[in-house]
Amino acid sequence: MSMGENGTAVSEARPLAREEAPVREERRPARPAPGPVRHLTRLLASEIGLTFRRPRNLAMLGVLAVVPVVVGIAVRVASDGDAGGSIIGQIAGNGLMLTFAAFVVMMPIVLPLTVSVVAGDAIAGEAAQGTLRYLLVAPAGRTRLLLVKYANVVVFCLAACALVAVSALVTGLVLFPVGPVTLLSGTTIPAAGALLRVGVVVLYAAAGMAALGAVALAVSTLTEAPIGAVATSVVLVVVSQVLSAIPQVAAVRPVLLTSWWGAFDGALRAPVAFDEMGRGLFAFAAYVLVFGSLAWSRFTSKDITA
Amino acid sequence: MAKRARAVRWGVPVAAVAVVAAAVGTGPVIAAVRSEPSLPDRTAEQLLADVARTWQTGRMPQMSGTIVETASLGLPSLPGLSGSSGGPGPSGGASMASLLSGSHQLKIWYAGEDRFRLMLPGEMSETDVVANGGTVWLWDSAANTATRLTVPAGSAGGHGGHDAPFPMRSGAASPFATPDQAARQALEAAGTDTAISVGDDVTVAGRAAYQIVLTPKSADSLIRDVRVALDGEKLIPLRVQVYTKGAAEPAFEVGFESLSFTAPAAENFSFTPPAGAKVEEGTATPPADHRPEAVAEAHDRGRVVGSGWDSVLVTSLPDAPAQKPDAPAQKPDAPAEKQDGKERGGLDVAALLDGLKGAATPVSGEWGSGRLLSTKVVSILITDDGRLLAGAVTPEALYRAAGVKG
Repeated sequence: MSMGENGTAVSEARPLAREEAPVREERRPARPAPGPVRHLTRLLASEIGLTFRRPRNLAMLGVLAVVPVVVGIAVRVASDGDAGGSIIGQIAGNGLMLTFAAFVVMMPIVLPLTVSVVAGDAIAGEAAQGTLRYLLVAPAGRTRLLLVKYANVVVFCLAACALVAVSALVTGLVLFPVGPVTLLSGTTIPAAGALLRVGVVVLYAAAGMAALGAVALAVSTLTEAPIGAVATSVVLVVVSQVLSAIPQVAAVRPVLLTSWWGAFDGALRAPVAFDEMGRGLFAFAAYVLVFGSLAWSRFTSKDITA
Repeated sequence: MAKRARAVRWGVPVAAVAVVAAAVGTGPVIAAVRSEPSLPDRTAEQLLADVARTWQTGRMPQMSGTIVETASLGLPSLPGLSGSSGGPGPSGGASMASLLSGSHQLKIWYAGEDRFRLMLPGEMSETDVVANGGTVWLWDSAANTATRLTVPAGSAGGHGGHDAPFPMRSGAASPFATPDQAARQALEAAGTDTAISVGDDVTVAGRAAYQIVLTPKSADSLIRDVRVALDGEKLIPLRVQVYTKGAAEPAFEVGFESLSFTAPAAENFSFTPPAGAKVEEGTATPPADHRPEAVAEAHDRGRVVGSGWDSVLVTSLPDAPAQKPDAPAQKPDAPAEKQDGKERGGLDVAALLDGLKGAATPVSGEWGSGRLLSTKVVSILITDDGRLLAGAVTPEALYRAAGVKG
């Protein structure tokens, strides 16, 4: 059986059970025999299309975009010209700080929650809808499908983090004066340099969220109830944050995913703390490797009945 | 799917875990494999002489690196670390007391005795000490405060104390030291009561290093040995480890995690207070340090019994509530050093303290009666007649010291 046939089978079978009617047209291959890579990109493109058109996901992205605006307005209303020392306090003096403050506010729970919903739903959601079977008509399809699902999660993480940054930047520009930014080290850098560091923060945050996405995806392969996968993932996040806060079990901190999320503040130091962030990226990669392989083992060996 | 194929599949995540564990463990493993770096043999005496020569010239090489300090449970004081803490690396400021527990990181950029920067990263915050010529800035990002400390002439790189360029407190309050300081103190403390030997060569921060092992001869000491790793080439201390009796892991360790002997970038030493920051002047104490005088007072009233490793600090208990109006939860019978640690160290140390208090057991003997706190590295005796005795010695030694004055 050639790849082209696989692709056709997957592409045509799947939308039947889905609500999105227009998608069907896109999924039909334009050419008869696309190669494996082409097939993958095609599948990924359709996944991404589905993800970003889904009303629930759009609503979550909307919330992500609104939080920085709310923080900005709150600071604007509350501030009476007194710029405090904390990151929130500095927003009043410089709108660019709102971007970093937004990540401080949203990294612990809002962003992880969003990512958990998308990634936890990835496999379990299809199973619950009864569409997973159709996706797996192709005999060699499970590994590829999982890869595509995860790639989709990564894209979503990146989009979510970029959206937070853009929303915060725009809000900051509108509500507050913008100028050279004071780093944590007390060094002042021009606004352009600060924008570059915003980019670094976005990429780092997205990597951290992608690691959580791998965990949620692994959980998602274990169940046919998407809400269970999402809840499990969120509970894991909360539990590890609670563990981080208990001094008696400080030894486990380096092992917890959540304790590395905060290391994006390395981008706000002079010189940039690449070593610390590198260690964080290593932790993320380790999580992706372990939970990705767990997801793979489970997904490729389980009986799909729905 | 066949059972066997399934088992093979589940082997993959197991392998992934193994790979990660191996990658995490690679550093130590590589270090262990290379643990016999080929350094020319030197006796302890030769080594110490070379070290003394290097230190007398007072020229530390330019370098930048990351120092990691790891302290295990309840280490308020390292004997021999109290008192003077000379050397170019000062204890870096306000949040030092938080270093009493867990593992902490300090970055150092060193270009000379009066040109260096120490950075203590925090979560979305940073404490910096930047020295450039006669000016020393203490920057606390959380408080948004820059404090300019002017170095009194001639005291740069001199001995610590209250006139030092930096707010150095004596031992109990500043457990953190650079390897240089710690090694110097340890070697100074070595006398007739210490056996000095050369241990196996080790690799620290990727550099081959000699290891000097200081073993207390006294049976009363809780310290098994102190190991000082000296760079094989530059002879500067790279790591100091304190092992207690019966423990496989060091109770206290401070050493370089990464180190490079290149001249640090000049930007590190140019500090200008950012716009909007509070700027304070003087040889002041760090802003977050509310009541340093209380510590000083406690130390002034104390005296040291015994010598070397067996030193026991004897002090009368401060009237805690009166001295610490800003710490209402304070119990009056808490040890002086620890109160200070609690106040400045935040929740971690507070939780630790509560644990220690819970561990205090009533004791009595010919010397009187009181309560004993015993950790693996320090014993603290609070007598019912209001004295506090502390030292890195066995409780029996404390009882003897308590009985001397009566």
